[in-house]
Amino acid sequence: MKRAPLLLSAGTAAGFVSVLGFHLRQAPPTVAGASPSGGASAASPSAASPSAAGPIPAGPAAGRSALGPEEQYGYGVLDVKVTESGTRITDVSVPLLQTAEPTSQQISEQAIAMLRAEVLSAQSARIDAISGATYTSAAYIQSLQAALDKLHAG
Amino acid sequence: MGLHDVFTVEPHSGHVNTWAASAAKTTQTAAGAAKRQKGRAAPPQGRRPPAPRPALAGAALVVAGIGLGTTTALTITAESVGQLTAVGGQATFAGNLTGMVGTYLALLMVLLVSRIPFVEQVFGQDGLLRWHRRLAPWPISLLVAHAVLLVAGYAQAAKSGPWHEVNTLLFSYPDVLIATIGLGLMCLAGVISIRAIRQRVRREVWWAVHLGMYLALALSFAHVIVLGPSFVGHPLTQVVWSVAWAATAGVVLAYRVGLPVLRSFRYRLRVAEVRPEGPGVVSVICRGQHLDRLAVSGGQFFFWRFLTRGMWWQAHPYTLSALPQPPYIRLTVKGVGDHSAALARLRPGTRVAIEGPYGIFTRHSQRRSRVLLIAAGIGVTAVRALLEDLPRSARPVVLLRATQQADLVLGTEIADLVKRRGGQLHELTGNRMTATIDQYSLRHTVPDLKERDLYVCGPEAFVTGVVEVARSLGLPDEAIHHEAYAL
Repeated sequence: MKRAPLLLSAGTAAGFVSVLGFHLRQAPPTVAGASPSGGASAASPSAASPSAAGPIPAGPAAGRSALGPEEQYGYGVLDVKVTESGTRITDVSVPLLQTAEPTSQQISEQAIAMLRAEVLSAQSARIDAISGATYTSAAYIQSLQAALDKLHAG
Repeated sequence: MGLHDVFTVEPHSGHVNTWAASAAKTTQTAAGAAKRQKGRAAPPQGRRPPAPRPALAGAALVVAGIGLGTTTALTITAESVGQLTAVGGQATFAGNLTGMVGTYLALLMVLLVSRIPFVEQVFGQDGLLRWHRRLAPWPISLLVAHAVLLVAGYAQAAKSGPWHEVNTLLFSYPDVLIATIGLGLMCLAGVISIRAIRQRVRREVWWAVHLGMYLALALSFAHVIVLGPSFVGHPLTQVVWSVAWAATAGVVLAYRVGLPVLRSFRYRLRVAEVRPEGPGVVSVICRGQHLDRLAVSGGQFFFWRFLTRGMWWQAHPYTLSALPQPPYIRLTVKGVGDHSAALARLRPGTRVAIEGPYGIFTRHSQRRSRVLLIAAGIGVTAVRALLEDLPRSARPVVLLRATQQADLVLGTEIADLVKRRGGQLHELTGNRMTATIDQYSLRHTVPDLKERDLYVCGPEAFVTGVVEVARSLGLPDEAIHHEAYAL
């Protein structure tokens, strides 16, 4: 069949374009996934600054907050934002979480939720690492500690 | 040089219809023999397969293309800018893309040899196998690249060494270990299929290792669904992908296992007679039931499995050397390999399982009204059966080539069929140096070559040579039909 290559390429193009078109219509291009790193390393002491849209939703921010440095870890990069009201840690969030592939994203997201609970009950960065997410836990603790230090120094 | 021994056709006494009749005599079915003898002038009663439907096969091609485009696009849309710019993100993305495209091509590889009837009828098994072989290096090298790139990407992201990362991937990611075993099996099957290596191993060894490919694909399936960026958190793509693979497995089981078993039970073939035809050449005549229902075209072949000790586990492709004459069916084989040589020792009564018919070396491929048939060696069997199937208007010119006169088997049957169709028969004997078919000889033997369809059958080198000559004489590809025997 002489037309075989033509039919095959026509099908390929049709499949490719339709999926791409569907995807673009479903999710209008936003940069939400790609948090700009500019300024992220600077602490933001202002309580009024809205928490950045990130994979882990932040709770109601009241009091003073600080953003820890970006920590490169095993499967990606994250930073931790902490909010204190008086001497109490009222909220911890992860404005930036980037991983190279979805499995790491899933694992990290689960671990971060657990780490957040640990921090809120321990009221410090002295928490246990989550087993199965050692790298994520270490980076989280590191960034959190730096954020707390900033908060207490300022 | 030219063709010698131009055959003048003598009046014959119905050679064509006698093979079944004499088989009937030897199988001592007195009643059947009498009936067969009486009705020997009757035309064959078997069924013919339906005409091929190119539109349907074309639609299948479009669907295959859509699958490829969709797979590629899904991998790209699963990626975000953030993931791509993360450390190791580019290698990981490349790894995901090669993995998905490689796996999809592996699916196509399986479908190419899944014996889907409407695809076989249009492209022919020869053509499909050629595509299967041509495509083969791609999925394997893409999947090896997939493994290497992902190890590199993950190692960059984790700031660890590649060996440490291999360890992590194998033992802490779900289903990666068995998928890696699958990749190993796939590489093994790929390596043993490399021509130079394949020629050095037994056909059965190659076949067994090649079957490992199915296992390899099954082993790798889980990690795609569980870890693939296009599938994690996308139940729809998970379902579509799973259905595509399940359907492929179903098609393979139905057409490569189910249908042949069903046909073998239905036709209940047994060896009736093994008859010597020439030096090292035998005809095996089988008797079966319901053969009037078996739809087969002249020039098609079956995979034959003779259910006797030492042979039951291997199936070999042999062409029918005549249209079925219920309850008889005949194949003619030259003893070149272990298997074909063993056929001469088959005992009457041996059960026979069949898979087929396959092949498009049939009248359905004919584009012009007249034909030229060229056969070398045992390729004569396909030409003999095809002749029987051709309309009288085909005015066939038949050219048979052999090393010596005695090797021209089935010569009288062919002469008879040619005569009935008002054609010409030329026989060419001699060694490969003296008895060649070249531009000069072909043009002089068949002056109206350009108005004919060419059917050529024989050893691969012979077929390639004749096809080249025909092309150089201006015959377009759609008028050239060939079937090569791999020895």
